[in-house]
Amino acid sequence: MRWLLYICFLASLNGYAEEQASSHDWLKTLAFAGHGTDFSGDFVYQHNSQVETFRISHIVASDSEYEKVISLDGPKQEIVRHHGRTWCYLNHKMVQVANQQGYAKFPSRLLANISDLKVLYRVQEVGKEQVAGYLTQVVLMQSIDNLRYSHKIWVHSDTGLLLKAAVLDDKNNVLEQYLFTQLKIGASADRAWLASAQADVKITPSVKTEALHDIKSGWVVDGLPPGFVKVQEIMRPMSKKHAPVIQMIYSDGFSAISVFIEPSDEDDDKDDLSSRGSVNLYQKVVGLHLYTVVGEVPARTVMQVLDSIRFKGN
Amino acid sequence: MMKNKISALMDGELFTDEANHIIEQLKSQSSAQQDWQIYHLIGDVLRQPEVITADVSKVVHERLQFEPLVVAPQRSMTEKARNIALSAAASLMAVVAVSWMAMQATPNKSPQLALQTSPLSRASFVLKPQVNAYLAAHQELSPSSDVQGGSAFIRTTIYSATEDVAP
Repeated sequence: MRWLLYICFLASLNGYAEEQASSHDWLKTLAFAGHGTDFSGDFVYQHNSQVETFRISHIVASDSEYEKVISLDGPKQEIVRHHGRTWCYLNHKMVQVANQQGYAKFPSRLLANISDLKVLYRVQEVGKEQVAGYLTQVVLMQSIDNLRYSHKIWVHSDTGLLLKAAVLDDKNNVLEQYLFTQLKIGASADRAWLASAQADVKITPSVKTEALHDIKSGWVVDGLPPGFVKVQEIMRPMSKKHAPVIQMIYSDGFSAISVFIEPSDEDDDKDDLSSRGSVNLYQKVVGLHLYTVVGEVPARTVMQVLDSIRFKGN
Repeated sequence: MMKNKISALMDGELFTDEANHIIEQLKSQSSAQQDWQIYHLIGDVLRQPEVITADVSKVVHERLQFEPLVVAPQRSMTEKARNIALSAAASLMAVVAVSWMAMQATPNKSPQLALQTSPLSRASFVLKPQVNAYLAAHQELSPSSDVQGGSAFIRTTIYSATEDVAP
């Protein structure tokens, strides 16, 4: 549903969007293509000097999209996504692990602000290259500050699919990248798995999740980098936590930052920074609360954001 | 002349006004700063400490940007001067040996240092499983998944699979 609403909204914007600079078109092209195109292939994901390979199939069926990802190395992982829900195969049995239904959809507010991207990133078309045998347009989105990463993307010229993507830090070092090594697009995409996935999805009881309503927690964050706008503010249950956790999520249109606030355990004096690829996470106990800030942004950004969290009151 | 003065300064042999004068010059002249660093390196190598003070300021600065807090022992000048038993105006042999070591110690040339500064090897910061719930919650609502395609999807995949499975 999320993507349907999104596309409807985009469609209404389309006439207007055509007159915008190429930067907007690239993002919208990606957003459309990722959802509306059938494809299957193998890709490599590299982060923190680790390399992992996955096989992905994405099919648009009559009842919305189905996506399946299988790990090709390491521990076996098999994930199916459909309609905002995610399942994982455990011992040949399909188990639901996440449910996005009922959560707010792609925020129109963000789309309204998407022109800010031009201010936040210098977008350049830097040539054409082949990826997995397909011709791609290479687009460099250079961050204008050191509070967010730059992105280099290889977009399939015909369909707009993202065939390769690299996240670069402020010294142009690659933090993480992924690329297709083998890919089939359109009618030749592998859909043999679809029928069994559709059947499994139907018989798997849906996990009852409480609808997550937008809240006004009274917490504010002053230290966000320019261009980040609040997408959502919710109260959510989390595994291994006694109390629900406040989550506020912000986005600049390309990267997102989540702020979690919860009561801290007694004697907890946590102050931890950790990362994986382009994701940084900073956790710290301040007074009676545990703050957690996570996002696809540099370490200095999650730290700056965490240090600016304060309770303003309703 | 300048080199002798720097050496003398390091050995604590200058009067206050002379020392101040040399320090002012050190601030403005990059060649003098280089001499200063080399002489300290010589002193360090001759004393064979565990840490050699090659010019790692740039590396340290980069690392600092990823560090929440760095507590480093600071050597005071007086302690330093007291510790230097040998004159910093060492023999030509020592200078040659040390210059070579200094070259080896620059980040671009030393494999060890290069490894430490490589952004792909920040192993000490790698995420612990305890934070997977936050990552999954972040990915779930992140609107970036729409434009970031594969990478976002993979993150979701990894986190979902490692996250506790719902009953």
